[in-house]
Amino acid sequence: MVAAERDDTDEGLAARAADGDASAFEVLVKRYQARVFGLACRLTGSEDDAADVLQDAFLQAFRHLGSFRGEARFGTWLYRIATNAALMHRRSRARRPAEPLDAFLPAFDDAGVHRATPEELRVASRVEELLDRQSLARKAREAVDRLPESYRTAFVLRDLEDLPTGEVAEVLGIEPAAVRQRVHRARLLLRGYLNALAGACP
Amino acid sequence: MNPTCQSGVDLLMDYLEGVLAPGVQASLEQHVAGCARCTAFVASYLETTRVIRDVTAVPLPADREKALLEFLRSRTK
Repeated sequence: MVAAERDDTDEGLAARAADGDASAFEVLVKRYQARVFGLACRLTGSEDDAADVLQDAFLQAFRHLGSFRGEARFGTWLYRIATNAALMHRRSRARRPAEPLDAFLPAFDDAGVHRATPEELRVASRVEELLDRQSLARKAREAVDRLPESYRTAFVLRDLEDLPTGEVAEVLGIEPAAVRQRVHRARLLLRGYLNALAGACP
Repeated sequence: MNPTCQSGVDLLMDYLEGVLAPGVQASLEQHVAGCARCTAFVASYLETTRVIRDVTAVPLPADREKALLEFLRSRTK
């Protein structure tokens, strides 16, 4: 076959890999490994766990290539496998229940007006000036870890991995409106958390 | 409909994704433009996502990439 005629789209490579072309599968691995690892780090909260999820997700993808029919995009299908692998991995670890972030939701008076002043509400925007990057990264990971699982998963896919809302809905098998509701709740909790973090800085 | 800060916050993500009815979208826009608290809130809401995305990004280390390839080659023969 002439190289120029080869279908090097994800779906073309997946079809060749399903027919036993190992090099086609390796191209897909190289194309997606960094994204799957990033997703797994954010979902499990640990690089070591993420490395296990990375291996598990690609092995499962390889074994199920025959059932990938191109109804979804390959990336969406792989994200679904990787998300499920990360959630299974996380659940298999005994964890202390996380302290909820509910105290960080915005507060309103009886007329529905923000209780905080504009200056107080703006503090979260200054968190990078007020904290060193390493502390901020650690605190941010802890906060993402403290979100309820359904919020965390939707938020990581939508906001941290930057998937469109419709694709997150496909990955999770839920309606786009449910994705928006979960991501919005996560954003509110994390915004309040960053605000408290920055507000507590001298 | 005259939105309050609270009802605006409830609809904020739908507003940002442009999925609200045009009349609701316009009334929220008007409220935010005239409300210093909501303007500050929306800015910090958007910043939250960007900051957390930036600081939680983890690149794939070269040794883990190599380990993945070796693992897959050993398991997919």
